[in-house]
Amino acid sequence: MLRNTETRWGSVAQAFHWLIAALIVVQGAIGLTMVELGMTPTKVKVFALHKSIGLTVLALVLLRLAWRLTQRAPREVPMPRWQLAAARTSHFLLYVLILALPFSGWLFNSAANFPLEWFGMFHVPSLTRGLDPVLKAFALRAHVVLFWVLVAVVAVHVFAALWHHFRQRDEVLLRMLPMAGKRRDLPRQRALP
Amino acid sequence: MRIGLALLLLLPLAAHAREWKVDAAHSTLTFTGTYQGESFEGRFKRFDAKVNYDPGDLAQAKFDVMVDIASVDTANTERDQALPDKAFFDTAQFPRAHFVTTRFRKATNGQVLADGTLSLRGISRPVTLAVKFAQAGSGATLEVDTTLKRLDFGIGTGDWSDTSMIGNDVTVHGHLALRP
Repeated sequence: MLRNTETRWGSVAQAFHWLIAALIVVQGAIGLTMVELGMTPTKVKVFALHKSIGLTVLALVLLRLAWRLTQRAPREVPMPRWQLAAARTSHFLLYVLILALPFSGWLFNSAANFPLEWFGMFHVPSLTRGLDPVLKAFALRAHVVLFWVLVAVVAVHVFAALWHHFRQRDEVLLRMLPMAGKRRDLPRQRALP
Repeated sequence: MRIGLALLLLLPLAAHAREWKVDAAHSTLTFTGTYQGESFEGRFKRFDAKVNYDPGDLAQAKFDVMVDIASVDTANTERDQALPDKAFFDTAQFPRAHFVTTRFRKATNGQVLADGTLSLRGISRPVTLAVKFAQAGSGATLEVDTTLKRLDFGIGTGDWSDTSMIGNDVTVHGHLALRP
């Protein structure tokens, strides 16, 4: 099912979720490694890769938001009000962060007056008019701070998903997993003693 | 014999073409290179040019230019920090570039060309400038253009010699404001 249903995320939403998640993990690993490299052409290539993946994430997130807004999300799994509030807040924060993070990188790259190409295939325009040291410093700080905030929110998100799955034994995680639709049709009942 | 003697007497007068003062505040020495598929512009903030030039007497014209290589500015902090390194300009060992003309000539289309020698990063090579001179009141402007190959001068050695990352061709443009 491409589209979301009452009880499950559709395969398009799932693909966006897991693809972006995987790219963000790769981005984090590349980002933390590349800043330690000495000034060699390898460093330049690794940075270029980080930028290309970041632009890809930005594009995917925009498409994902468009898809998310054009259709109904699955019905929320019954849970205490504080958990629902925490889930909604962290999902909203995750959307904001995965948009702001690549954007701050693009802004930093622009203000530093670095070239920008998507996998060497086409030129991506600068957001500034050349070098802007003040904006550059701000954007770099924002990029780093946003990254660690994202790490924290993702940690909460992953913990919550696993907690719902293994402790609450509800369908929160399963409905975002491909081909897991039939495995637990009545999970909440099974969880009851 | 008589004519020869007369010419000989005239020689000291003709020996130097018109000498100009270069107005450093209004003169620029810029270059355009390519990096990761995009062109970028740089400039040398400090250079010293001696210009003897009279469009009617090219035989006596002479340019002599000293460039302070460490004054390079490409509007990118990281690149400007890397350029003085050993792999690029190696300014610790070669702080200055020197260009001096050897002769001036006119191309068939009338374009004035200045042949000379550029010494950059310890390598001397023949370089030809296209020269445009325009008198304006008591002063004049001089535009010179050429294209260099960075690898001819060993700029960007080792792994950096990959021209798909840093283009080999670098166009150089000088704009000199001349005062009498």
